[in-house]
Amino acid sequence: MDASLPEPIGGPADGLAAVMALRAMTDQLEDTEVERAMRAGWSWSQVAEALGVTRQAVHKKHLRRLVAAGLDLKRRNA
Amino acid sequence: MLKQILVGHARNAIPQYRQFELEARKDGARFIEAEHMLLALAATSGTEAGRVLIDAGLDHERLAAALRDEQRQSLAFAGVEPPIGGLPEATLLDRPITFGTSAKAALGRALHACHAQRSHRARLQSIHLLIGILLAELGTVPRALAIAGVDRAALISRARAEVGVTAPPC
Repeated sequence: MDASLPEPIGGPADGLAAVMALRAMTDQLEDTEVERAMRAGWSWSQVAEALGVTRQAVHKKHLRRLVAAGLDLKRRNA
Repeated sequence: MLKQILVGHARNAIPQYRQFELEARKDGARFIEAEHMLLALAATSGTEAGRVLIDAGLDHERLAAALRDEQRQSLAFAGVEPPIGGLPEATLLDRPITFGTSAKAALGRALHACHAQRSHRARLQSIHLLIGILLAELGTVPRALAIAGVDRAALISRARAEVGVTAPPC
């Protein structure tokens, strides 16, 4: 096989496509589950701890979206 | 440079932009990718690109099925099955979705195909976009087409014949 012309199917292409598909699924799952947790009354800190990231990171990534979703986040400063 | 300008002014410069964006939103995606562009082109039978795709039996429904098969096969490599009925939908921000990497690359190739016509009257048309999308050698679109048993090279030839583009891709 000519290594300069890899096929889109089989070999490393399958593994790399799996990475892409998992990444897309993970992103969508994170959006869904963060929203679900916040609707259930979790604090930013609790969501961050469960995800293993900083509170600032989860706040920066999801705040605007959750405000647009109509969540009242005024008392979620913890 | 031209590609950056095109991407920056996509909402006005690319007539199909709204359809691309719609397909990306339906997919719950954060960016417009090449597969969303392809789906949108397949949904517009009144354009050159739509005719080429539909003549090849690739209507929106078949392409969507091919993309689902590609996702399923890719996830299976990692031992993961997509949830039946898909994941629950999260609220998405109602703001314009921009082009992702695969879409930007397709736009760059589309511009090249358009310039290859060597005509002052050549303007970026749906058929150029289709050529730009189909020329990707790797990634979701060529995988989905291969899984669906589509001869991508033949499809590119048909699309090029539609506009008389004979120059090689960049």
